[in-house]
Amino acid sequence: MKIIALLLFILVNFSYGYTYNKLLLKAQASIFPKIIMLDKKIHDKLIDGEIVYTIVYEKNDYYTALEIGEFMESNYRQNKSKYSYKINLVEFSNFSDETQTTAVYVLNSNKYIKKIAQSATRKGIISFAYDMNNLKQGILFSLMLEKSTVLYLNKENLNTKGIDFVDSLYQIVNFVEKSGS
Amino acid sequence: MKRKSFNSLSTKIVLSIALVSIVITLVIFVVSNKINKEAFHQIEIEKANIIAQTIEPLIALNMYLDMEDKINQITLQLIENPNILAVKVLKNDNIINYVESKEHKEEVGESFVVKRTITQPNSSQATGELVLIYSNKGYKKLISKYTDLTALLILSLVILLALFGIYVKKLLYPLRQISKLLKNYSPNKNIEIPFISQNNEIGLISSALNNMQKKIMQYSKKQENINHYLEEKVNEKTLELRAQLYIDTLTGLPNRFSMFNDIVETDDGALLIINIDDFKEINDFFGHIAGDIVLKKFSNRLKNMFKTNEFAKLKRLSGDEFALLFIQKPPLQEFIKIAHKLINDVEKMIFFNDNNEISIRVTVGGAYQIDGGLEKADIALKSAKKQQKSFLLYDENLNIEGQYKENMEWVKKLKRAIEHDMIVPYYQPIFDNITDKIASFECLVRLIDDEGKVISPYLFLNVAKKSRLYSTLTKIMIEKSCMHFENLEYDFSINLSVEDILNADTVNYIKAKITQYNVTNRIIFEILESDGIENYEEVSIFTQEMKKLGCRIAIDDFGSGYSNFEHMLKLNIDYIKIDGTLIENLDNDISAQIIVETIVDFAKRLNILTVAEFVHSADVYEKVKELNVNRTQGYFLSEPRKSANKE
Repeated sequence: MKIIALLLFILVNFSYGYTYNKLLLKAQASIFPKIIMLDKKIHDKLIDGEIVYTIVYEKNDYYTALEIGEFMESNYRQNKSKYSYKINLVEFSNFSDETQTTAVYVLNSNKYIKKIAQSATRKGIISFAYDMNNLKQGILFSLMLEKSTVLYLNKENLNTKGIDFVDSLYQIVNFVEKSGS
Repeated sequence: MKRKSFNSLSTKIVLSIALVSIVITLVIFVVSNKINKEAFHQIEIEKANIIAQTIEPLIALNMYLDMEDKINQITLQLIENPNILAVKVLKNDNIINYVESKEHKEEVGESFVVKRTITQPNSSQATGELVLIYSNKGYKKLISKYTDLTALLILSLVILLALFGIYVKKLLYPLRQISKLLKNYSPNKNIEIPFISQNNEIGLISSALNNMQKKIMQYSKKQENINHYLEEKVNEKTLELRAQLYIDTLTGLPNRFSMFNDIVETDDGALLIINIDDFKEINDFFGHIAGDIVLKKFSNRLKNMFKTNEFAKLKRLSGDEFALLFIQKPPLQEFIKIAHKLINDVEKMIFFNDNNEISIRVTVGGAYQIDGGLEKADIALKSAKKQQKSFLLYDENLNIEGQYKENMEWVKKLKRAIEHDMIVPYYQPIFDNITDKIASFECLVRLIDDEGKVISPYLFLNVAKKSRLYSTLTKIMIEKSCMHFENLEYDFSINLSVEDILNADTVNYIKAKITQYNVTNRIIFEILESDGIENYEEVSIFTQEMKKLGCRIAIDDFGSGYSNFEHMLKLNIDYIKIDGTLIENLDNDISAQIIVETIVDFAKRLNILTVAEFVHSADVYEKVKELNVNRTQGYFLSEPRKSANKE
């Protein structure tokens, strides 16, 4: 009976899209752009002198992405930063190696995560994921709200060419390996 | 003698090292204490800084990422450090996090604050401040540990020094042992010095001492032999000197010292002292060698004279004086007989020297008792000489000792009187027989004794002459008399003995005083004719000098001696004072009258004034006038008085 109930729950989720934690989304939207700024080689990743933050989403998560983008823009307006920010919203299916971006933030997806992670690794783009499980597929950063805010970093992709964060960052993150956390 | 306290060399060495070590340690301790304390404090500050420095990037990052809960975690972790009392995180001057430990309140008084600016991780922009309140507990612990270690070090040092002291004592122990052994060392004693086998400095010293001991022993033996030889020589010489001490070298007779020894050993003896009369003349006339020959021969003949008498011992006392000591008293008559026989036998002796016959006479003084015998025989000898007797036996009734004592008393009295200014002149007027007025005064010496009695010069003048106080008396009389008549119009006369005139010091004094008091024209010097003026030349020089100064000269007691008129005339005298013995019976004594008349006649012819002394009665006074004597002096007219002013 319990197994049936669980299968039903999964099925419903598949049919009607993923449910995001709004608080987590906001936390990630606040922190991830700042993490970009901790990259010592950020100037190599600028697109026309701007930091381009691309939110990649599934079609049914468009509004979630849009909400995040708006939140980030409002945040950006409040904070004075060295570089100007540009938020791009790109569907998973449209994301390719040609997509010009400084960093990529992936929402939930069943099939594109790995592809995007590989693209980011190739291009030396900083990648963030809503779900920390995506780190196993090659995404660099994720964030969870546990007893406190916890940043996760994919240890294997850390040595990606062109990414070099301030040292102190490594002291506050939790490292995740592909095989497990 | 105070014994010097022993100062151990080993103790000194150890104490010196200890002192130096302690001083060095203390200096090191004080300096390092200061340096270390500062260093420790600096370490703590550095530690706090390192913590702040380490933690600041994390806080900065969390602050940057707005992960304040993470900051809180970090500060809570920090506060677990027992040295951190409180952590404060400020963001733009607002405290965003503050935690403090339980010990904060207790230890905040002894803490320090470390502040660090929080900078944004990706830029140098300051975003806040990290404040650490850091406890000094760690510093105190370090200091405590350091002090404990230092104490341990000092304790170790003390123990080491104590051990070192013991070791040094042990090293120097042989020296002490050697010194103990050497305390009892004497050149005749062989001491076994240990430690010779030691192969170090002690061994060398021991060996050297052993060698030295052998040499000293050899030297000591030599020295002993020399000493023995010298002792023998000294003994020989002592005996020789002793013999010389008791034997007269000229005559070979036992001497005065020998006689003293014999007298001490004699219980009931008698003594004769034999003095050769006028032996000086033999020496002067025949020479000292002849004198010595006479003495030798004389002593030999005396020896022969008494060689059969076993109780009579002949001695030579001095140049011309011999003694015959009877160690057993003969009967008195026999004793006197021996003395007389001796004198007679000597008178018969004739000594030959270069065909000259020399005869001698002796005077003998005898004492028929051994107690004080030498002194008594000597007194008897002197009395015999005085009385011109060839022998006199000491007699207690002679009271010679009493006279000596009396003379000595008078010497004392005289000295005391001189010292206390009790020798004074008295003035007796001399009257002119024509005018019956005072013509002059004679100044007569008087002694005022302790009871204020006036003592006549007859009692002390002879004593003064013998004790050499006479010139002092003359000087006193000159000074006081001249001073007295300085402002009087009278002439005055002072008595001078021939002894005074022959004394250059006295004569100079007289000249100085008569000039000082301006009495040269009024002073008359009375020279005693009875003294027997033998040195006419010297006296004549004196009278001439005085007359040149304006003084006048009188001859006192004229007629008492054996004056040579011719000599008297040479003295160019002004007055003749006729001797009292001629005056005192002048009224009855025809002979005296004739002599006085002759003297007056003689004087008149020579323009010499005559003075009659000792005029004691009206009859004598009348006779003096009748015989045309110019002046009169005597108790009949006036006694001597204290002042010439008094009539």
